[in-house]
Amino acid sequence: MKFIHFADAHLDSPFRGLSFLPSNSFNQIYQAANQSFERIVDLALKEKVDLVLIAGDTFDSNQPSPHSQLFFAKQIKRLTDAEIQVVMIFGNHDHMKVDDLLITPSPYFKLLGPDEKVESVSYETKSGFKYDVVGFSYLNNHIAHDVIPDFPEKSNNYTFGIMHAQQKTDHQDVYAPFALSEVTDLNYDYFALGHIHQRRVLSDQPWVVYPGNIQGRHINETALKGCYLGEIDEKTRQTTISFKRTSPIVWEKVTLKLAGPVSKKTLHEKILATLKSNDFTTYFSLTIENAQYLTEEERELIQDSSYWQGISLELSQNSQLVDVRFKTQSLPSLSVEDQATSKQAAEEIFTNSALKEIAAGWVKKSTLTQELADDPEFLTEIKEMSQVKLSSKLRGVSYEIEEN
Amino acid sequence: MKLKKIDIINFGHLSNLTFNLSNDNLSVFFGENEAGKSTTVAFIKQVMFGFYLRNNASPFFEDYKPLTHVSPMGGSLFFEDQGDEYQLERLWAKGDKTKKGILTVKKNSEVVPESEFFDKIHNIDGNFYADSFIFNQETLGQIAKLNQEDLLERIYYLGASNSRELIELRNSFEKEADNLFKKTGKKPEVNRLLKQIDDDQHDLTEIEHEFNQYKQVDKESQKLKKQLDQEKKQLEQLNKTKDHLLNLQKQLQNFTDLESLKKKQKNLDFDSNAYQKAQNLNYKISSLNTSIDSLQNQLAHLDSASDLNVEQAEKIVQKKPELLQWQADYKSCLQKEHELKSEVDQILALTPEVKKVALFDQDKIVQLKEDYHHWVKQEVPDKKPKSVVSQTIFYLGLPVFILGLGLLIHVPTAGWTLMAAGILMMGGAYYNLNQVVKQNKIVDQFQANVDKSQKNFEEKYGISPLGLDLNSLLGQLTQYQFKKRSEKNNQAQISEIKTRLDKVAVELQKILKEPVNTDFSDELNAITKVDTKLKNLQQKQQRKDEIQASLKTSSQKLMKLQLELKDILVQNKVRTLEEFDDLYQESLVQTKLDAQIVALENSLEGDLEDLIKFKPDELRSKLSEATTTVQEVKDKLDLLQASLAKVEVQKANLADSDAVFKAKQKLANTKTLFINASKEYLSNLMTAQLIQRTLDIASNERFPKMLQEAKEYLKLLTGGRYVDLVLDKKLKVVNQDGKKIEVKYLSRGTSEQLYFALKLAFIDQIKDQINLPILIDDSFVNFDDQRISYIKDLLEKIAENNQVLIFTAQKNLVDKLNRTPLTYKKGQKDA
Repeated sequence: MKFIHFADAHLDSPFRGLSFLPSNSFNQIYQAANQSFERIVDLALKEKVDLVLIAGDTFDSNQPSPHSQLFFAKQIKRLTDAEIQVVMIFGNHDHMKVDDLLITPSPYFKLLGPDEKVESVSYETKSGFKYDVVGFSYLNNHIAHDVIPDFPEKSNNYTFGIMHAQQKTDHQDVYAPFALSEVTDLNYDYFALGHIHQRRVLSDQPWVVYPGNIQGRHINETALKGCYLGEIDEKTRQTTISFKRTSPIVWEKVTLKLAGPVSKKTLHEKILATLKSNDFTTYFSLTIENAQYLTEEERELIQDSSYWQGISLELSQNSQLVDVRFKTQSLPSLSVEDQATSKQAAEEIFTNSALKEIAAGWVKKSTLTQELADDPEFLTEIKEMSQVKLSSKLRGVSYEIEEN
Repeated sequence: MKLKKIDIINFGHLSNLTFNLSNDNLSVFFGENEAGKSTTVAFIKQVMFGFYLRNNASPFFEDYKPLTHVSPMGGSLFFEDQGDEYQLERLWAKGDKTKKGILTVKKNSEVVPESEFFDKIHNIDGNFYADSFIFNQETLGQIAKLNQEDLLERIYYLGASNSRELIELRNSFEKEADNLFKKTGKKPEVNRLLKQIDDDQHDLTEIEHEFNQYKQVDKESQKLKKQLDQEKKQLEQLNKTKDHLLNLQKQLQNFTDLESLKKKQKNLDFDSNAYQKAQNLNYKISSLNTSIDSLQNQLAHLDSASDLNVEQAEKIVQKKPELLQWQADYKSCLQKEHELKSEVDQILALTPEVKKVALFDQDKIVQLKEDYHHWVKQEVPDKKPKSVVSQTIFYLGLPVFILGLGLLIHVPTAGWTLMAAGILMMGGAYYNLNQVVKQNKIVDQFQANVDKSQKNFEEKYGISPLGLDLNSLLGQLTQYQFKKRSEKNNQAQISEIKTRLDKVAVELQKILKEPVNTDFSDELNAITKVDTKLKNLQQKQQRKDEIQASLKTSSQKLMKLQLELKDILVQNKVRTLEEFDDLYQESLVQTKLDAQIVALENSLEGDLEDLIKFKPDELRSKLSEATTTVQEVKDKLDLLQASLAKVEVQKANLADSDAVFKAKQKLANTKTLFINASKEYLSNLMTAQLIQRTLDIASNERFPKMLQEAKEYLKLLTGGRYVDLVLDKKLKVVNQDGKKIEVKYLSRGTSEQLYFALKLAFIDQIKDQINLPILIDDSFVNFDDQRISYIKDLLEKIAENNQVLIFTAQKNLVDKLNRTPLTYKKGQKDA
């Protein structure tokens, strides 16, 4: 038996961090998730899989666009027409009415547990191999409780679990929080998860798998995106899985470390060399370490999106440079006679709580600002920027005479 | 780090000037205004931290009137530190790339890296030095420019090195942050983007209803389609009605025609059979009349009779067989005549003597008989002929001989034999021939006698007796005479026939009234002609009889027919056939009318009922009503169709719409812009905060210690008005009355004095790390004479821990300080 497991298609979802691009260049981006989806369906047809598991968040919202709905329905029809069983659940993003799905009714399409209750279905492959699929869908955008206890004991059949959920953390968990041990204790043969956009195999005996999303949408969704193709030895029930890339665009973070001041030309060459070409469209985020070696003019130039687009023209595969960040090794000393002082100050200042206090007016403005204020990564970015700015200014001060 | 010597080569308007400083921590530079005191301060700073050759005006004390264009510019400073001598020489010559001048550091007269010196002063920069160690009018100016609040801040942060500069930096970051975001602003970028996010979010929420819209539109589309179907059906029905009415309208003319035709319709008593019969009769009558006329014509023609004499003609015709008999007789007579003649000729040819003899009379014939018998008794023998065999043998003997001669050479035996045979043959033959010739000479003699008697006979009778058979001749004569008689009879018969023929010819001429040759064929022809004529005449008569019979019959028939016709006319109530014809024509018209009516009725068929029912006006109004209704429904249909098309377009647009994605992307982009702007804002804000915090920390550590020193300085600076400094939560100043005054309530002047007091205390605090000479230009202390001792005390207090260079134009201060001043005397070294 063969199956495909994917999740978090997020059809309709935008790409983030590309505000500088001219609006017409979003076409490729717009198509990307759909293309990835289509390729997964192509793969299913090509591999003649028996089952396709869609583990939630197929749409980016519970009010998907008709376009995406029709696209989805068309793709599902390709599968059901080929008599491939499709089992799908709704996630926290696409908790919508089942009736709103524009799917052509087919015995090969099953929306599992639409009332947010764990549902179990049994199927049989054409070769007579019996299997169960157990799972549930979201009714609302949050499920605060652990749902695993509702999962039934495994039957004699090969059993798939399917769930859109997040592992328990210390924070507020609102996505059907679970402990890995609970899931492995169920001992289902394959537990198909969704929600986390990073591909992750939590366990391989038994299988507990996040396939990641099918298309990275911003620089924090790097790595290849696609689906898992699973193959089950029907006698031994041994399952092997392999990842298949389907996303047309891949995000990648690269770093250029400067060892000293460089000429503009050399810098350009170094940047190009860092953005090494892949076989697929890549959106690069470039971090330049030791940015203190850059002049202010160079920094301004490199941070200008028109420069990125200039660079992008020299990249193959329609790849793009979409982000440049600077890093300095450490905070420059502000206190001439006592470096510890500035270090201490920095440690005090660059915390999320200090940020919230200092930028209280900003934080209060929206939920987004509140979220950002709580985001340690965001803080790190600000810290890096701050360091770069400060070193730039201090350097400017101390070199002022020299430069003139 | 103690400054021992100042060696100016060229700097500003100073040249070749050297100051040797005493071991005393306090050095006094005395000079009038413009003597070069400020230039010396600048020289010390710039040799250490670089020339300040700006073209534009400097905001600081280093803003010289144009530097004298002398080269090289610069000079040296000599420091002493823990027993080592450091020489800092900075020179700048025209053409040097750097305007900072070229610095050479020598430690104990040996060139060493700059860092050997600068590490010792913690690599501070010129600003730091100027900010912390130089007290002059410019420093005062800087402070004077500050508002009270800033001044207080400066005071607070005097505990931190570089504080002036860092505060400015912090301020610049704060300003930048402030430009980006304001708590209540609308224009700053972050605020604007926040608003934009709200707008975009709102747009997205609107657009996210797309699917509901889609469902609605789909519903609407279904509804419209249904409506459209219904309307179409209605239209169909209405069109049918309208078409029917239209048809009725079209048929209206036909209907009117029908009505008028019906009016023309009459009841005619017309018997078509009778008419047909009458016509037939009439036809028969007229054809009978024609035939009668024709018969009468024929009759008339036949009456023009012939002039043939029938009796004579019949007679002569009856003579035809007779004539034919005559003809046959005549022919046989002619035949006989011919035969007889030929027989006579034959006899004469056989025995021509008959002709001579025929002329003889009986006596002569008897004579002849006697003469002939006499002559017959003389007879002559016959001659013998030469033998042909003998002649032949004779002639054969010669070749045999020659042959034998020929063979003699080759075959002598045969040759000899043949030659002998040849000779034998020729000899025998020759003998035989000779015998015959002798015999024949005797015969010829006898012959001559005979010929003489013959000649006598011939002369008497004219006949040669030689060869004469008299009996036969006489027989022949008999025959000849018989034939001659037959000929004569035959001739008579022919004449007879000819005579009769003539008679007939005359008769024929009479009958035919034309000449007829006396000739069998002509006469026979004439008879045939007469016969023909006769026959014709008979036929005519017969025909006449027939015609007359016919005429009689026809006339009777005619009468009968006319009666019948009359009967019919009476029956059909017409006087004449012409009337009957008129009636017939009338009936034709009616029939046509009937046919038209039927045709119209057929074409009107179902409509007839309605046409009879509606009046034309009613029909017209109904039709116009129907047309209006149809148009209305059509319009409605058009509207519906337009609506449907619109809805379908909407549906298609929705199905094809990337609006949701675009709205999301727009929101995401705005968020990105917002996050970036926020990062910019926050990094500025945080940097400012970082600087502030650093200042806080740095300052707070030193502040208590600084206060100890500073209160002394403040007392001296204020001439004893303020005696103490207290730091609780806030910095307070204690006046001579023991009253604590919050710094913010101090007068401007006192605030400035506090600032300088703290600044001096700060230098004192960092002296272990950074020990450089303090440069004080008295122009910044406007002390009156009365407080001069305070100043003296102040300077000596400072000099306790730091080297102080005081530049003054006040003679009494120099006196009070009780030290030999360094003075400016041009061209004089080591003043």
